[in-house]
Amino acid sequence: MKADTNAARLVRQVLAGEVWPALADRHAYRVGPDGQPFVLPGMGGVTLGVHCGDRATGYASDHLEPGASVRHREPGANMALQFLTCVGNQVRVASGPAAGALGHVIGQHAYVLVDFAEPELAGVTTGDQVTVTAVGQGLELPGHPAITVKNCDPDLLAAMPGGTRADGRLEVHVAATVPAEAIGAGAGMASEYANTDLMGAYEGLGEDLSLGLEGLRIGDIVALADCDHRYGRGYREGYLTIGVISTGQCMLFGHGPGPSTLMSGPAEAFFLADDSDANLASWLHPRQEALR
Amino acid sequence: MSGAQRSLAPVAMNLLGVVEHPVLGETPYRVDRDGRPYVPAGDGGIVLGLQLGDSVFALAADHAAPGACLVHPDPASRLALATYACIGNRAEARTGAASGARGVVIGKRGEAGRVITAFAQADLARLRPGDQVTVRACGQGWRPPGFPADVTIMNVDPELLSALPVETGGSGEVVTAGVRVQLPGRLAGNGIGRPAAGWDLDLQLTPATPGALAGPGELVLGDLVAVTDIDARYNLGYRRGWVTVGVVGHGASPQPGHGPGITPILTGPATALRATPDAARHVGLTPAALKLQ
Repeated sequence: MKADTNAARLVRQVLAGEVWPALADRHAYRVGPDGQPFVLPGMGGVTLGVHCGDRATGYASDHLEPGASVRHREPGANMALQFLTCVGNQVRVASGPAAGALGHVIGQHAYVLVDFAEPELAGVTTGDQVTVTAVGQGLELPGHPAITVKNCDPDLLAAMPGGTRADGRLEVHVAATVPAEAIGAGAGMASEYANTDLMGAYEGLGEDLSLGLEGLRIGDIVALADCDHRYGRGYREGYLTIGVISTGQCMLFGHGPGPSTLMSGPAEAFFLADDSDANLASWLHPRQEALR
Repeated sequence: MSGAQRSLAPVAMNLLGVVEHPVLGETPYRVDRDGRPYVPAGDGGIVLGLQLGDSVFALAADHAAPGACLVHPDPASRLALATYACIGNRAEARTGAASGARGVVIGKRGEAGRVITAFAQADLARLRPGDQVTVRACGQGWRPPGFPADVTIMNVDPELLSALPVETGGSGEVVTAGVRVQLPGRLAGNGIGRPAAGWDLDLQLTPATPGALAGPGELVLGDLVAVTDIDARYNLGYRRGWVTVGVVGHGASPQPGHGPGITPILTGPATALRATPDAARHVGLTPAALKLQ
């Protein structure tokens, strides 16, 4: 049965954002795991050709951010945009030739990341304004008080399979489970901001770097072992965090495809169901099509 | 890594540090790992009454460091200060009531960059935020002659290494480092994915961490600690079979993902860098070794 929620009491806010340019510095190069210098695209701007359901790794890219990367120019307003925007929130392009196009938030990465269908994404560029209908922070599951939910649109939660089981646990379908050793940059940060980079997914590099995570896809729902993201991001044995892979291939060492946080609580409060279809593509895009 | 690495002469630079004033936002609260709000005391600036050899859990504080944290008002200069300063570098107060007091760099902290300097307590009490301190920065890029090619050394003043429990084996193939404890990489928190030349690695330890503090010894400031499966050469990150050894430069933190921080000094494959834990008898960086007493 679907888990009861307080969704009816949540506030919806209209937020403004801007597709942010990719950024570089004049030294260009950064350094990979073996000391290899690299110059690779992927962060900021509009990254084409990679959507929910596509592989997260295997690209000549660093910190691949699928779709449009969005910020607000004013620092305080930007933090509000980053903190209040939730995965699954609807986004409408508000300026430029793609105005009116609808997409969905797939995660945060110090940018709000918005996936659009490829033909519409092709018409979006840096500087375009977007409108986010933000809803989800404050979402609670009264039947699962040990579980904290964050960054999750209530409609996304409703669309995800699983729910409250007869034994009282929350059933969540996941495409992969990630060991604590994989937790990279992002540990110690607020779990309403950016995401948790996963190490051990450097496609094409040494076996001693691999934690078997090269098969992750953008949009995959994953479980992070021994991670407590209720009040930030930290290691806690016996806890689980559920996230959605919102960024892809990295070359920078200690970084990698990253989940944005959706839920966190003691492991015994969850029942994980292995499900290769546990991906945002299974739920967001059909709704997106229906809205047209 | 290349097999033959020449040992080039280290260069010293005088850098200017400014004694930090702690900084808070408009709300005083941070949130601890159990969801309780707390006011972070001791997070940067001058902390009195805390010394090398004290427990990392001694104070009800957040990232408290034993001495004075140095910064610079220009962000890029601040990062350079944090990157080039090395453990063991000499520091000297140049302005204020403590002018002329001599201290030593004992670690660093990441993000915006901080250099942690230890002073005698009487000198520390005379320091004031805003005082200028010059740091004789030396050590980055230095390799001891005959050091095994597979082991990288960083963040250490060339004159300090002999005062630390670090030895090159007779064959010249292996470096041995005495440590208080060797911890699994999954306990590494903030600092992963960041450059170890200018950033410390927080260990997600609390007094209740099971097995974290093996034996009778408790983790104290100045201890050497080894972390397995972490490669610190080019950012800190996961590499199976590697070991990183660092010096504990600041104390515990209530924040999730944070904790006592080590400034990395050695990193290499476990075949070439051997950490030898001795929980009861380990002696790391001490005020005596730094001639602070």
